[in-house]
Formats: sequence, C-alpha cells, structure tokens
Amino acid sequence: MMGTIGKYTRLLGDLARYTLVRELAFRGNFLVKISVEVIWLGILVAFFRTVFARTSTLAGWTEPQYFFFVGCFFALNGLIETLFMENCNEFAELVRTGDLDFLLLKPIDEQFLVSCRRIDWGTAPNVLMGFILMGISLVQMGWHFDPVRIAAFLLTFTCGTTIAYCFMLLLTSLSVWMVRNQSLMEMWWLFSSLARYPKEIFAGPWGEPLGFLFTFLIPILVVVNVPSNAMVRVLDPGMIVLTVVATFALLWLSRRFFQKALRSYRSASS
Amino acid sequence: MTYRSDFLIGTTLRFLPMVTTILLWRAVYSGAGKASLAGFNYNEMIAYLLLVHISRMFSSMPGLAGGIAREIREGTLKRYLTQPVDMIGYLTSYRVAHKVAYITMSFIPYAILFFICRDYFDKFPDLMTLGAYAISLVLAFMVGFYFEVTVGLVGFWFLEVTSLLYIVMTLNFFISGHMLPLDLLPQPWQAILKAMPFQYMAYFPAVVFLGKVEGTNLVYHLLGELAWALFFLGLARYLYRRGLRRYGAYGG
Repeated sequence: MMGTIGKYTRLLGDLARYTLVRELAFRGNFLVKISVEVIWLGILVAFFRTVFARTSTLAGWTEPQYFFFVGCFFALNGLIETLFMENCNEFAELVRTGDLDFLLLKPIDEQFLVSCRRIDWGTAPNVLMGFILMGISLVQMGWHFDPVRIAAFLLTFTCGTTIAYCFMLLLTSLSVWMVRNQSLMEMWWLFSSLARYPKEIFAGPWGEPLGFLFTFLIPILVVVNVPSNAMVRVLDPGMIVLTVVATFALLWLSRRFFQKALRSYRSASS
Repeated sequence: MTYRSDFLIGTTLRFLPMVTTILLWRAVYSGAGKASLAGFNYNEMIAYLLLVHISRMFSSMPGLAGGIAREIREGTLKRYLTQPVDMIGYLTSYRVAHKVAYITMSFIPYAILFFICRDYFDKFPDLMTLGAYAISLVLAFMVGFYFEVTVGLVGFWFLEVTSLLYIVMTLNFFISGHMLPLDLLPQPWQAILKAMPFQYMAYFPAVVFLGKVEGTNLVYHLLGELAWALFFLGLARYLYRRGLRRYGAYGG
C-alpha cells in the first residue's frame, strides 16, 4: 500500500517537472496566460466592489467576508484548473481519436493517468492570488487567529477540491457516450457557476428548492461555501460532516462511473 | 438532433449562470434595501442582463481576429491577392451570413428564455424604440466586426496576436457592460467607459431597448456608434493597405 502511494507520488512529481519544463519553453505564452488570470481576478474584485458600494451586506455576507469567499473560489478553481482541467478536457479528444488505447495499455491506474497526466502551470498562480485575496480580507475584517477554524478550513478546502474534481470526472466520463462533446471547459464553467456564489442567495420560492438540491443531492454548493463559512462565518459541524461524507461518496461514485465509461469505450477505427 | 443527450445537457447547463445571476441580484437589491440602484429597478436589472446576451450575439466575433492573424502567419492570405476578392469584403459577407444563420438557430432557445423571464420586462418598447434598437444592434455588429478585424490585422506587425486578443476579450467582458450596467460604476470610470467604443458591444443596445436613452440623446449616441464603426472600418482598411506592403516585402 505504502509502496503504491510512493510510486504514484513519485510519478506525479515527475509529470509535474516534465510539464513545467514544457511550459517554460514557451515563456511568452505562459506570461500571457497569467496576465489574463490577473485581469480576471481584477474584474471580479471590481465587480463586487461596485456591488458593495450599493449595499453593505450581500445575502448576509459583509464585504470582507464576501471577498474571502471570492478568494476561496479563485484558489480552489485555480487548483482544479491546474491539476485536472486540461487533462479532462483532452479526454474527449482521446476518445474521439481512439488514442485512449495507448493510455489503457500502460501499467498505471487509468483514472490517475487520465486525470493527472499534465499540470497546467499557467493557472497555478491563481491559487496564490486566491490565498492573497483571502489574506487581505482576513486582515480587513480583523480576524482573530483560531487554530480550530484553520483546521476546519484546510479540511473542507481539500474536500471541496476533491468534490469539484469528482464532478469534473463525472462530466468527463460522459464524453465516452457523447462523442461530439461540447468542450468540457465550457460545460465546467457553466456548471461551476453554481459554486461561485454563497448558498444564501438561493432564496425565494424557486431558489430555495434549488439550493437544497445543490447542497444535499448534487453537493456542488458546499465546495466553496463550507470552507469559507468555517473560516469567517459560522463554524457548523453538521455541514463539515456532510462535506466529508459527500467527498467519500462522490469519490466512490465518480470512480465507478468512470470505470463504467471505460468499459463501454469502443476504440476508434476498425 | 443526432446528439440529443448532448443537446439536452448543454441547454440545461446554459441556463445555470442566468439562474445564479438572477438570484445574486435579488440578494443585492434586498441587501441594499432600495427599489432602484443607479436608476435600475430589480426588474430592469434582470432585463438588462438578459438583453446584453442579445447585444453580444450581434457584436461577438468568435475566431475572427485569430483567423486573420493565422492567414497572415501561414501565408494563406495570398489567395485574396491573387483572386479578385477583397479580404475585408469577403470576411464581412462570410460573417454576415454566419451571423444570420446563428441568430436564426438560436432564436427558439432565446424566445423560450425570454418567455420564461417575461415578468422582468415591465413594458414592451414602442415602435420608435424598437427601430432604434434594431439600428443599434446592426451597428453593434459593425463595431464588433471591424474592431476584431483591426486586432487581427495587427498580425502583420506581431506574429502572435492571439495573446493580445485574449487580454482584450477578457477586459471587454467587463468594460462593455456585459457583467453589470455601466451606470453602477463610480466616476470617473463610468464616464471613461461610456466614452469608449466597447459599450456599444453590450451596454448600449440593452439600455436602448429599456428606453433609458431617448430623444436627441438617442440620436446622438447612435451617431456616435456609427462613428466608431466607421473609425474601425477606416483603421482596418488603412492597416490592411500598410500591412500588405510589409507582407509583400517578405514575399509571402
């Protein structure tokens, strides 16, 4: 068991080094990617600064709390994009061309190989930028150091990232059946728009049922909400337990679904 | 229709950002405790955010600038030089045809979306306003089109314009008013952005539809929009002529 973990960690390290070298071969491109992300964060900040110029709270979140949320989303999404987005995006192409055969032949776990082959270093600074934004908002709200909250945050942040990955894997697996898949990138952007806002905005006659649906049945809302809440608002043990349980359930489910997808994969040509 | 499940999932997902946008702005209005923000009441705000999609349908030009830059880089541009076709003219007719097909195709989904959201539209605009709206959309197409052609033609001087394009497009998302009405921004940003051509790609047609710009002001702005369209048309023509001279020097 330990040997297997060691092997995969080493493999991940090698892949990371290899992709970083590749990326740095095109430095200009790399810089552009980063500047687009910086602009994007700037736009988000400008947008919510504008909104908070008109209101002091948004669905019960004060401005610094809200910016902590934005930073948390940015970091978490950055992590997903860095580690998995490009790989999953490529999966549809591998299925279409039949090149997936080559991956399946390798003596490594297929899920690992499909989801971790490349690391997109261009979005890695997003994680840092997100954490900087979170740091700034903590200072602004005069946050008091609390190890319990930090531990809860780190745990749920990890769980949130894992949940997001599971959803991405589920969407990716679909491309075995839907060969002409729209770009996963677009589907992911649309789907993750649910995680982008506090769950308290899901109010009103049709908002509330939707909020329930996306918290308990399709738990995409907990991804950013629970870590942010644990850090700067209410530390709710119930939600934390729910998040951990959802993480394991989704890990199991998405793996089963992925394997089912692979079984119904019929190579291209002949 | 061969890809029914594909279509179904795609359409469902496409509605999600609109749902969250509506919920977000509802939270903003209830947090502010005011009926109107920067002259927009809640219904008008949602109507605005729906209408910018229509503006963008006319003004966004996926792949245009990148395509031109690629033709310059790979040398396929010469087909316009050896044949009696003008490149900008050809691209215009191609894009117009493409847009007509695209807008016709997406008419039904948008009709359904607007029907579901009909309650957010307090009043239907009169004929005059509708006419002005149609003009503003056609001009939005022109501004968007010639702006992108101009960016693409910069490729004569720099080989790699896709990166420049990414940056411009990301910024455009905000400064065109796609995310929120420019009126909400503090001064001087509001004045600066309203003096720029980008507002005509999303903000302006939407506020025309909502009847926020009227009378001489409307005429004045439509003329401004036309002026920007002509400006970029002229600039594109100029860059094309200058660029061809450079291009010829390399021998294609």
